[in-house]
Amino acid sequence: MSSETATVQQVAAEKDDIGNFSYPENHKFDAGYGLTKDTIDYISKVKDEPAWINEFRHKALEVFRSKPMPTNWATEDLNAIDFDAIRYYLSDGATPKRSWDEVPPEVLETFDRLGVPEQERAFLAGVEAQYDSEAAYSNVKEALADEGVIFVTCSEGLKEHEEIFRPWFGKVIPVGDNKFSALNSAVMSGGSFIYIPKGVKLKHPLQAYFRINSENFGQFERTLIIADEGSEVMYMEGCTAPKFETATLHSAVVELVAMKGAKIQYITVQNWSSNVFNLVTKRGLAHEDAEIRWIDCNIGSRLTMKYPGVVMKGERARGEVISIALANDGQHQDTGAKMIHAANNTTSNVVSKSISVGEGRSTYRGQVHIPKHLKGCKNNTECDALLINPKSRTDTYPAISVKGNQHVTQHEASVSQVSQEMLFYMQQRGLSETQAMSLAVNGFINDLVEEFPMEYSVELKRLIDLEMEGSVG
Amino acid sequence: MSATLTSPALEKFESLDWPIRTVENWRFGAWKNANLSGIEMLGTGASADLPAEIEGASRFVFQNAELVSGSHAAVTALSESFGPESRLGSPKLAALHAAKGDHGISITAGGEETIEIIHLVTGEGLLLPSLVINAEAGAKLRVIQRFISTDAAAAVVLTAVDIKLGDKADVKYLVTQELNRESKLIRFADSAVAGSAYAKQAVIHTGAKWVREETHSSVTGSDGQSQILSVALPDTDQEYDQRTFQHHGARDTYSDLLFKNTLFGKGKTIFSGLIFVDEGAHGTDAYQTCRNLMMTDDCEAHSMPGLEINADDVKCSHGSTSARVSEEEIFYLMARGIQPKLARSLVAQGFSAEAVEKLEDETLEAIAIEVIERKFDEVD
Repeated sequence: MSSETATVQQVAAEKDDIGNFSYPENHKFDAGYGLTKDTIDYISKVKDEPAWINEFRHKALEVFRSKPMPTNWATEDLNAIDFDAIRYYLSDGATPKRSWDEVPPEVLETFDRLGVPEQERAFLAGVEAQYDSEAAYSNVKEALADEGVIFVTCSEGLKEHEEIFRPWFGKVIPVGDNKFSALNSAVMSGGSFIYIPKGVKLKHPLQAYFRINSENFGQFERTLIIADEGSEVMYMEGCTAPKFETATLHSAVVELVAMKGAKIQYITVQNWSSNVFNLVTKRGLAHEDAEIRWIDCNIGSRLTMKYPGVVMKGERARGEVISIALANDGQHQDTGAKMIHAANNTTSNVVSKSISVGEGRSTYRGQVHIPKHLKGCKNNTECDALLINPKSRTDTYPAISVKGNQHVTQHEASVSQVSQEMLFYMQQRGLSETQAMSLAVNGFINDLVEEFPMEYSVELKRLIDLEMEGSVG
Repeated sequence: MSATLTSPALEKFESLDWPIRTVENWRFGAWKNANLSGIEMLGTGASADLPAEIEGASRFVFQNAELVSGSHAAVTALSESFGPESRLGSPKLAALHAAKGDHGISITAGGEETIEIIHLVTGEGLLLPSLVINAEAGAKLRVIQRFISTDAAAAVVLTAVDIKLGDKADVKYLVTQELNRESKLIRFADSAVAGSAYAKQAVIHTGAKWVREETHSSVTGSDGQSQILSVALPDTDQEYDQRTFQHHGARDTYSDLLFKNTLFGKGKTIFSGLIFVDEGAHGTDAYQTCRNLMMTDDCEAHSMPGLEINADDVKCSHGSTSARVSEEEIFYLMARGIQPKLARSLVAQGFSAEAVEKLEDETLEAIAIEVIERKFDEVD
């Protein structure tokens, strides 16, 4: 057993200290609390950004300030965000900031039970500022470079690849799309810029781990992925271990551009700690014959609002959202999908499954839009909700707009619970009630979990087992 | 008496705002149409040919605000509004009705009754009819309410109905909206089922330029049931905006909603529905279906079927579809010598009939089908 794991167990034993920890604050760059024009200039200066980006940020700040909170349709819980109590830019440099003693035992326990590799654990818990994957993945990086793939930070992208970056940046999700996309545009840092050249089909998924940067999992990351004609890429972000995070607001913007015949799959597993507001805008633009798939799993955070979208701009483009959400006590998973059909013969598919445990609340919010004078558009939406306990909550708010008679749309939603017969049957065969419930829940989402890469799906299943503990009996 | 005399209802009306775009309950809706500022009340009405009498029914006829015929022991005439509440986005309109509503009828019965109410609408201006249905324990009521224009003037009918059911009561209530193409209808429908009663309401929309309808169904008695049906047939320059709320406030309650829209020309529909299950309302059975049949390339349908479930051990589902008449069905009928145009119309009429059949009352179904067929003849 390594000394680190030994420490882990020591810490785990000292349960009295839960909730009593704090981090030493020693950031190399810190824009301070609150958001003003100076904050933006500070970020631009630290990042040594070109003038156009600085201007872009300032305009975004104005838009952010002018937009009201969307509480006319969203939860009032948003009003709990104190924008003046948030630090909008922190950069740690490369030195570790936390020691194992400061990581809460329940997080460590989860790592143990999930079987997260030790190196990864250290990174996730913030003990190491970087995940030392340089060596492990250097071969992959070389291979990528050989094929002409660009995989850099967003900051590098806008400085070094402006000719590719700038025409698409902020085009899929304009600054004024919503209050939080404006906020992100004002204070963005971190995130990736990826460009896949024509015809290149990447066999291996790209992961945020590959690229090493202390801002990687920042609060306001900005990602732009461009897949040129006929190329294919799968991108994965997040991980199935709880991200141990002191920040309370995470607001990312992710833009995808799939050129003619390109294919992008974007996989997210979100497991922020339960004090985080996770307000994310994600949208893809699919040109002729292109395909964009969002595969999204939300398990953590206090409130997640995320509705990945696909604008099908070219004929025969295809959009898909596969979504799993699990809401436990004190959590609200407000997720969904937006499918904008803007060309003939475009098809979209949304499959969403949510599980509400304890007093958790899960919400599906969807939009399907088929404008005038198009033909042959198809949408299929299915959302199923599973309620585990008497006080569990679920909502569904789809909006489907269809113009013209040459389209087919269907929406179906159902709400159910695990049947007593099923639980009884499994208990008869020697499973405990909790095991039976876990098995039933895993069965409920099984067909969607299969869409995730293997290592994710294994961890997902274990994570659901963990979440189901104490939910019954 | 001085002209400054005001009632609390009028004060409330004046303190509220007309609907605005950002109100979620007006999403996709023509919120500007709801602004009735400056509108005058309708004057004296006129007579017109009346639909055939229903056997065994007591008929009440209004010419604008004036009750011109009808009497029944269970019915009293109303001279003011009962004060409807808007729970779906139009409090100012509800307050307007409460403040200025001046006619209508109230039915209170414990036995078996069939009551027919005909509103003949004449001229340009505002009309505020009320209807109260109070079905006492064990009552078995059939109520038909028809809105018919006598001329082509632009009237605005702002109407409200309040339906209360006692234990084991059974109410079947059909509304037909046959106004002219210049008029607007704004309608609040509230039903409350206490005890193991069964409320069934259906509405047929064929006329008017614009309809805004807010239907609120509440089931708070165990084994209570509520069914909400609608057939809407909008053509060019017609927009039907229907919002519904199915509230479940007790264990073992049932509600079912079926809306069938057939859209012609540049017709437009908006459906927004919510099933709301209270904490502790276990054993709820709730369904909601909105189907849009798109007959042309210029029609437009918006559907927002919603669920808010706060209890487990429930069975709830909703579905919404938008599509045209399937080619297979047309082919089948053509193979039997029916022209494609007629085939399409037959399939569409069958589509509407599915909702009508759920009334399970031959008399009411016949009225509904007659109104629907008239519209089909008109659009052909």
